[in-house]
Amino acid sequence: MRRKETVAMLLAGGQGSRLGVLTEKIAKPAVSFGGKYRMIDFSLSNCVNSGIDTVGVLIQYKPFLLNKYLGTGEAWNLDDSTGGVHILPPYATESGGQWYQGTADAIYHNIDFIDSYDPEFVLILSGDHLYQMDYNLMLDYHKLMKADLTVAVKTVPMAEASRFGIMTTDEELRVTKFTEKPREPDSDLASMGIYIFSWPVLREALLRDHEAEGSEHDFGKNIIPTLLGEGKRLFAYVFSGYWKDVGTIPSYYATQMELLEKNPSFSLFERRMRIFSNLNEHAPEYIGPEGSAERSLICNGCEILGRVSGSVLSPGVYIGPGASVEDSVLLPNSRVEAGARVRRTILNEEATIAGGALVGDGESITVVGAGATMRVEE
Amino acid sequence: MNRTIGLISTNYTVAGFDELCSTRPAAALPFGGRYRLMDFALSNMVNGRIGTVGFMTPYYYRSILDHMGAGKSWGLDKKQGGLFVLPGSVFGFKDDESRFLIRDMGRNIQYLEQGDGDYVLCSDCSFVYNADYQALIARHELAGRSVTLLYKELPQGERRRGWYLELDGQGRVTRLERGESGRYLFLNCFMADRSFLLHFLHDYKTAGYMDFPEALSQLLGNVYVASFPFTGYVGYTDGILDYMHSSFDLLRGEVRRELFESPRQINTKIHDNPPAFYAPGAYVRNSVVSSGSIIEGTVENSILFRNVRVEKGAVVRNCIIMENGTVCAGADMNYVICDKNVSISGNVTIGGTAEHPCVLPKGKKI
Repeated sequence: MRRKETVAMLLAGGQGSRLGVLTEKIAKPAVSFGGKYRMIDFSLSNCVNSGIDTVGVLIQYKPFLLNKYLGTGEAWNLDDSTGGVHILPPYATESGGQWYQGTADAIYHNIDFIDSYDPEFVLILSGDHLYQMDYNLMLDYHKLMKADLTVAVKTVPMAEASRFGIMTTDEELRVTKFTEKPREPDSDLASMGIYIFSWPVLREALLRDHEAEGSEHDFGKNIIPTLLGEGKRLFAYVFSGYWKDVGTIPSYYATQMELLEKNPSFSLFERRMRIFSNLNEHAPEYIGPEGSAERSLICNGCEILGRVSGSVLSPGVYIGPGASVEDSVLLPNSRVEAGARVRRTILNEEATIAGGALVGDGESITVVGAGATMRVEE
Repeated sequence: MNRTIGLISTNYTVAGFDELCSTRPAAALPFGGRYRLMDFALSNMVNGRIGTVGFMTPYYYRSILDHMGAGKSWGLDKKQGGLFVLPGSVFGFKDDESRFLIRDMGRNIQYLEQGDGDYVLCSDCSFVYNADYQALIARHELAGRSVTLLYKELPQGERRRGWYLELDGQGRVTRLERGESGRYLFLNCFMADRSFLLHFLHDYKTAGYMDFPEALSQLLGNVYVASFPFTGYVGYTDGILDYMHSSFDLLRGEVRRELFESPRQINTKIHDNPPAFYAPGAYVRNSVVSSGSIIEGTVENSILFRNVRVEKGAVVRNCIIMENGTVCAGADMNYVICDKNVSISGNVTIGGTAEHPCVLPKGKKI
């Protein structure tokens, strides 16, 4: 196997229970976002745009859609003859098999995979963040600092710092302390869950962590504190661009509403760092004679016979005559039949709102499950 | 096992396209927001489970190769079979709208000789339709005739230029003639036994510039030429008016559904554009809009391709605007067909009529 300087490992096995019914049938990284994307597209596109062509995707929870979506990795230009996308599920060995016990455990079980590329660095990513980032800059920083581990961090308002994993650093940005959700934070640098490890250091830490009793085999809870305790060189890499964790319903919804602003902080129209997706097979959308669309993102394959405003519509969405959709997020192939009214609602894939139904109160966010049908109550 | 190989011909010109086809063949003409005419021929072949497709290039083939690449978008990048780009004739003759130049086929006879297919399905790229080629293939196989022509029965009174079939009670072609009107219009698509086609090309080696239907028309007494009807929607592209009408046919739900929502998917080159954005105050009615477009103004009864920008206060009616078109604030357009990369400055009024649409060439700035 040809040697790779960097191998990316994308943690895509989580259930994402904070997304409720959106992850009832699919893993969190497969959840549709921004119309034609799925959450994993952002990290994968960043990899490609950063010239990283070898990505291991660690899966566990309801992986079918994700597997199908990833395919050969072709959609992200990752069908590479020497690298490519590799789907890595838990597997059995002579001594039996078990599920991935934590984020670090998932990497531990794939040490052989990483070793096969003999990399210098391993980039750990998660699949539910919205951001555009050139990992090369972070890698350069990692090399410059001769770091063992570099953690990407984002400055957050001090008042919100207690919701994050907080890195305390010295003036050189060398990490001196890491506290998960500190009650009294002494730093405003929040971990983005993006790590670059020097592989020999991580490899050794994983082997020891595997044997450690009581370990939860988690990067934040176990690996990072251990390395800190051992006096390893941990550095914070301050990322100044846009970054959002979209793993909860409110942030999932709000972030998509932000895409509709006049000059959104995160622009899907950015040409320099393109976001690739694998949902490109539809014909262009059609807006009917009585249809209308305003302040909305609408994808190929939609048929809009009613009114749409302030909404994000994924491919293959149907809005019937006289129906109205406001401030909502409609996922692939969902339908709003004639005369229905939908407000502030996330309509999951293949869900149908029957003709004349009213959904959403316009205040709280309503979520309709995948394939669900909402009928008018008798 | 797959017994049919495909052969697509693009080396023809269509009069009446003005500047839209001055540097591109009609096969590469953008259509329907994100497609090119060739997508239909390629997709129909692939959907007919034809895994080996030869593509005879026309004179201007840059746009063809740009679009087609290695055939990945149609699943034709294969280890076995796949896409074969076959050089067509260059220079030196004034094309009289031939569809299947015998010379082009003869020059690429190696493609037809190799492999183990029993049949060859030939098509040009001058019609828009989504056909079940498996049905055509099955009919040809069962009937056991040398050649089967695909045709469309025209409604009475409809006039189209092309080759017309006359049929006997068994569907045998008794006459094949070029004309301006008739009942059974040849869809420039036929099945042939490979051995027949090879013999035929050998016999007609010297008749280089002859068109296949022309040669075939002289053989009808000796060769049993069968026929197969296509009953679905056909979009015609014989000149700018036809092209415009076929484009506007996409504003009809039943046409869109038949072409694009069939299990037989029409594929095209993937661009990975973001969704289209409809700004506050956008007014869009009865229009097809493609990804990457940003609409702030008024769009009615129009077809917008990818990455089209319609600024605030601009009005676009009955128009076809191809990729990367920009219509600046306050411009007013009616019955205009814009090739790629056209930009219309602010407050310009430009228009044609339903009979004479205004055509703006690639990159034009007004």
